[in-house]
Amino acid sequence: MNVLTKQKEHMRAAVVKGNVSQMAAAKSKKFVVRFFYYLVLCSLSFVFLYPFITMIVTSLMSDADLINITVKWLPSGFRWSNYKIAMEQLSYQRYLKNSMIIATAATIGHVISCSFIGYGFARYKFKLKGLCFALVILSMLVPVQTIIFPLYIQYSKWRWMDTYLPLIVPTFFGYGLNGAFFIFLFRQFFMGLPKEMEEAARIDGCGAFRTFFKIMLPMSKSSILVATVLSFVWHWNDYFEPNIYIRTAGKRVLPSRLPGLYALMDTEDAMDLVMEEDGFTFNKAMLMAGTFLVILPVLIVYAFLQRKFMEGVERSGLTGM
Amino acid sequence: MKTEQNSSKGQVNSGNGTGQKEKKKSFMTMQRRNSLEAFMFLSPWIIGTCLFFVNALISSVRLSFSDIVQLKGFVMEWVGTKNYEYIFMYDINFMPTFVSVVTNTLINTPLVLVFSLIIAMLINRPIPGKGFFRTCFFIPVLLGSGYVMAQLLEIDATGSVGVGIALPQVLQEMLGNTMVTAVQPFLDRITLILWKSGVQIILFLAGLQGISSSLYEAAKCDGATQWEMFWKITLPMISPIILLNFVYTLVMYFTSSDNDLVGYILGQVFQNTQFARGAAMGWVYFLFVFVLCGVVFGVVRLGSKANE
Repeated sequence: MNVLTKQKEHMRAAVVKGNVSQMAAAKSKKFVVRFFYYLVLCSLSFVFLYPFITMIVTSLMSDADLINITVKWLPSGFRWSNYKIAMEQLSYQRYLKNSMIIATAATIGHVISCSFIGYGFARYKFKLKGLCFALVILSMLVPVQTIIFPLYIQYSKWRWMDTYLPLIVPTFFGYGLNGAFFIFLFRQFFMGLPKEMEEAARIDGCGAFRTFFKIMLPMSKSSILVATVLSFVWHWNDYFEPNIYIRTAGKRVLPSRLPGLYALMDTEDAMDLVMEEDGFTFNKAMLMAGTFLVILPVLIVYAFLQRKFMEGVERSGLTGM
Repeated sequence: MKTEQNSSKGQVNSGNGTGQKEKKKSFMTMQRRNSLEAFMFLSPWIIGTCLFFVNALISSVRLSFSDIVQLKGFVMEWVGTKNYEYIFMYDINFMPTFVSVVTNTLINTPLVLVFSLIIAMLINRPIPGKGFFRTCFFIPVLLGSGYVMAQLLEIDATGSVGVGIALPQVLQEMLGNTMVTAVQPFLDRITLILWKSGVQIILFLAGLQGISSSLYEAAKCDGATQWEMFWKITLPMISPIILLNFVYTLVMYFTSSDNDLVGYILGQVFQNTQFARGAAMGWVYFLFVFVLCGVVFGVVRLGSKANE
């Protein structure tokens, strides 16, 4: 890694060279390089953080703060009641429960099935393997929108409409939202693991399944973590499929409540054209509170897994091809 | 399952060709047992493919060449390429939307790849605050590809809902209006691109971590410059990730819910109840994505052959 550090410094140095005289002492050059490096990083992360911070700050503003242009980053007081209103508008607890059920079950499905299938692809040679894997890639490429209608008919024949089954069951078979992506991820990971452990286990008389569950799976914690975080986040944020399969309003997922919330604000905006500031701004804080509440569970999950997740990413062995 | 001893014998013997006797003795040769195990590991996927994929794929193709005569029970009638003809000859909305979506995607995808690779290389270094920066760049993934992000990033002329975008707003305060209107479209695009590249950054980071540092050390000993090392080591080593990211980005752009064409197709299906036409549109769309990916795969394969 040290090499990479130097590589970057060198590249940055080449840029800086034009401005700073070449005579500059090595130490000050190093400082300048580091300074520019952090400048680039900070400005980039600012782009990423800006909407996020604005959302949180706005959600805590009072009416007066919202109208006042000078209040941008620090509201005069934290108005928590915005969150209370937003929670009521969203019927938060009920939809939170729905979303939790779907995201958790689907994540479990993905981790179990995709690690299993990915192991099969990584370790076994058999006829038609190339074709099978091409099919996996194909299922990654086909947009959901192309096959959603036949699936819709199929599920309604099975009487799965208006239940969570169409969202959860496919994940246990390596399908569902980005299922092929996870198969690919696990395949890459298992291919990078040394075979010696398994061979030793097999020689000691351990069956294929036991080898997988007792030896390979515990070794693949890092990949499981990456898959868990990504699958959970993706399922949580997806509202396209849930909206198609679930018709009853009370069974819908949390993100699908947001368009309604935004529409609520738009109509009020239209009505208050004359004194738009008041009607519009009051709602904006509430709206941001609602938006934040919707993504809050994801943030909590990530906050808990953050360190491990990044470690997992580092160890996922994607380049070990 | 036979005992391990037996099968390991089979393995040894089948290698030198004298194992015919052994093979006859046990029905389960190493090879057979292997394929059986492989089959068991893949069985969930095989079932899934039959139930949730191939099935739907075939009936979607069939539907695109048919008309629904009777909505109840979905009785279909084969009409040949009528639906496709309609799309290209009569539908005045499909082609313009299609072209604009495709151009947008083709411009954005390479930019996403370049930016995410640059960012991944920046945060790949062991520096203080590494965790903080990594989390920053992961925020877009957490906020999702869905509604939240679309709202937060909305470039709205009326400024009604969206929180606004960082660069233009800040720059407006510093540079004034004339300057900003000139660079705004460019900055908007860059910001949107950065916001779409969370997963790609993560994947590139994973790839960069996987490159063994001894490669760089060896290159350095041979007097390679950093620039050469990037082109000769980093890039070839992460080329599989580039491919994965390319496919991911392409599919993400083509299927994201803020895509106009997707909205149009869904409108045809679920509002105008033009099921067959919607299916045909979906297929035109998908074939394009498929051909594009095929071209990229081909180019990559040719490139890797040329390298060898």
